[in-house]
Amino acid sequence: MKPELEEIFQKFPNRQREDLIPLLQQIQDDFGFLSKEIITGVGEYLDISINKIYGVATFYDNFRFGPVGRYHIRVCHGTACHVAGTSTILQELERQLRIKPGETDKEGLFSLEVVSCIGACGLAPLLEINEEYFTHLNLEKIKDILADFREKEQNTYES
Amino acid sequence: MDFKIEVNNNPVSVHEGETLLVALRRNGFKVPTLCHMNRFSPTGACRLCVVEVEGKRDLITSCSYPVEKNMKVKTNSPRVIKARKALVELLLSNHPDDCLYCQRNGNCELQWLAEEMNVKERKFFGEKNADYPDHSSTSVFRDPGKCVLCSRCVRMCEEVQKVTAIDFISRANQTKVNSAFHKGLNVSSCINCGQCIMVCPTGALLDISHLEKIQAELESDNKEVLFFLSPSTVASVAEQVGLKSQQDVTGMINTALKKCGVNKVFNLGFACDINILEETALLNEHMATNPSMPMISSCCPAWVQYLEEFRTEWLPFLARSKSPQQIFGNLLKTHYTNSQKLNPDQVFSVAVMPCVGKKFEASREEMTHQGISEVDAVLTVRELFRLLRTFGIDLRSLKAGQLDTPFERSSASAWKMGYSGGKAEAIALELYKMKNNGNQDGFKFSVSKNLAGKKETKLKAGNEEFGFAWTSGIEEADTYLQQLLEENRTDIQYLEVMGCPGGCAGGGGQPISRNPEKPKNRKKFCQEMVKISPIKSAGENPFVLDLYKNKDASPGSEKIKDWFHTHFRKREVMK
Repeated sequence: MKPELEEIFQKFPNRQREDLIPLLQQIQDDFGFLSKEIITGVGEYLDISINKIYGVATFYDNFRFGPVGRYHIRVCHGTACHVAGTSTILQELERQLRIKPGETDKEGLFSLEVVSCIGACGLAPLLEINEEYFTHLNLEKIKDILADFREKEQNTYES
Repeated sequence: MDFKIEVNNNPVSVHEGETLLVALRRNGFKVPTLCHMNRFSPTGACRLCVVEVEGKRDLITSCSYPVEKNMKVKTNSPRVIKARKALVELLLSNHPDDCLYCQRNGNCELQWLAEEMNVKERKFFGEKNADYPDHSSTSVFRDPGKCVLCSRCVRMCEEVQKVTAIDFISRANQTKVNSAFHKGLNVSSCINCGQCIMVCPTGALLDISHLEKIQAELESDNKEVLFFLSPSTVASVAEQVGLKSQQDVTGMINTALKKCGVNKVFNLGFACDINILEETALLNEHMATNPSMPMISSCCPAWVQYLEEFRTEWLPFLARSKSPQQIFGNLLKTHYTNSQKLNPDQVFSVAVMPCVGKKFEASREEMTHQGISEVDAVLTVRELFRLLRTFGIDLRSLKAGQLDTPFERSSASAWKMGYSGGKAEAIALELYKMKNNGNQDGFKFSVSKNLAGKKETKLKAGNEEFGFAWTSGIEEADTYLQQLLEENRTDIQYLEVMGCPGGCAGGGGQPISRNPEKPKNRKKFCQEMVKISPIKSAGENPFVLDLYKNKDASPGSEKIKDWFHTHFRKREVMK
């Protein structure tokens, strides 16, 4: 088992069932996602079936089971954003990135996630990329945002 | 404490703390449900048990609501009936309408409800579940499209069998019952006990059928098709068809199978006797070498698989003898083929079992010899009935026919293997005789009246005292054995474990029914057969003794190891 995982386990010495969700959250914060090996490790540590853990983890939208891209796009799909036209925004993103929500593109550059409500309804529709917010979106803006990130990536690569 | 509530304007006496549904059903009120199971945690998943309670704004689910003083309940008010019908229509909204092609056609709780609620057309059009059916397991077939998410299988797997091979994955309309990472049952921790099949209200869980394979063999003349019937199969057929123990039920099934084109029909009880003698010999050996641990029975494939997956540290205490099914398969492919001057691949051996785990057992690598399996196919009792129906055979109209030699006779002990606690008794009897120079006078053994539940009893033989215990259901067995070890108890020498509650009488291959009396009747039938069997114990079966004589060996000896013994190994699964 990874030593980093052991370190996280040490923060939960009681090995109780109720430690499961905080433990998974901590792991996701550190590792980025929950792999099969990690879930198996957690199962052994807390003595819970991995089928149960997978059931709990898939219940919540926040847990991921594969790596995210360097730029993780979270599209708000709360009520206000929905009314303001998130669906079209999302369609455009899917079309341009050629991925569906929950997936990561082949280069590992972008990944897409739909979240319930970011809590900035006045700025709808909006999305978040690596904790940077883009508001009052329209299709034109989406094109620019993605182009900006691609250019940024190109520059980092060249320098 | 008891108090009164009012149901449909009638006073009804209820116990404090029980749920409304339990109280209603005890008092004869019919309340439908798809998810409720007695003694399991309530879920309120299907919501069909809704009733109207005066003073409550919404309808309440009676399965998860405790009785309250001065409650006024309506179980069949127009509002309730309307709601129930809508609920059934919603359940049907994403159901594949393929009842005609469904194995559970005619025995489906959802189908019954749709009929009872007078559903005549599709009201709601839901998105169908697009998940592929799971054919990966050797024993259990899963069709997610027919799942109504009642969680009976999930609770059975977790609460009774302690396996948790399946759980709810995802949320809301995406919810599915599945293993982690959407993997097949073959790589999950499933132990193939089949109890999920027994509780499924629809056709979402079924056995992997060997019927087609067998029918193909029956049609072609390439191989001699040999069937062997387990005692609990016979009990189950008798129960289902309504035959008495005085009638020769085994003989009647024999005649029926011959009409289907089966070449020979044998009695698996023969191998039960061998298994009992082998385990007794092994127990004697075990007590000398391992006095601190009980020897654990190994005839239940689900229990063996559970230990191989979850409790490898207990594997050394498992009896090394093969299960009766595999002993019999081996006899057919060695002893029988030799005597008939046939090659082992010229016969097709079929076990008829009350179990789906036996399908897995038959496929185990250890149970093959030079690439030839001992048992080629396993029929569950359900499949046996289907076979008979296909051939249009009515058992009641048949005359009993003599089973085929050389494996036609079994002792009373073989019948004891059909229910929980029976095998422990049979082994105790052999041990008693061993310690008493073959004399069985004065043998006393207290058996349980209940179908399931753990029990311990002491056997006095000569100056010695031996502890025997039995449990059924994996959770109960696991907890019991762990407790024995924690308390450092050394007074239990033999532990019988049956993976299904009640033993094979409640096995995962039995006919599906919500009637709790059925397994009890099967046990009763077995016990009656014990009484009327002319051969009283395994060690007195002259045919079995002849076989040992032929092989020039005694039970438990080195010589018969290749035929009657096996080994166990650790299994890496997702757990």
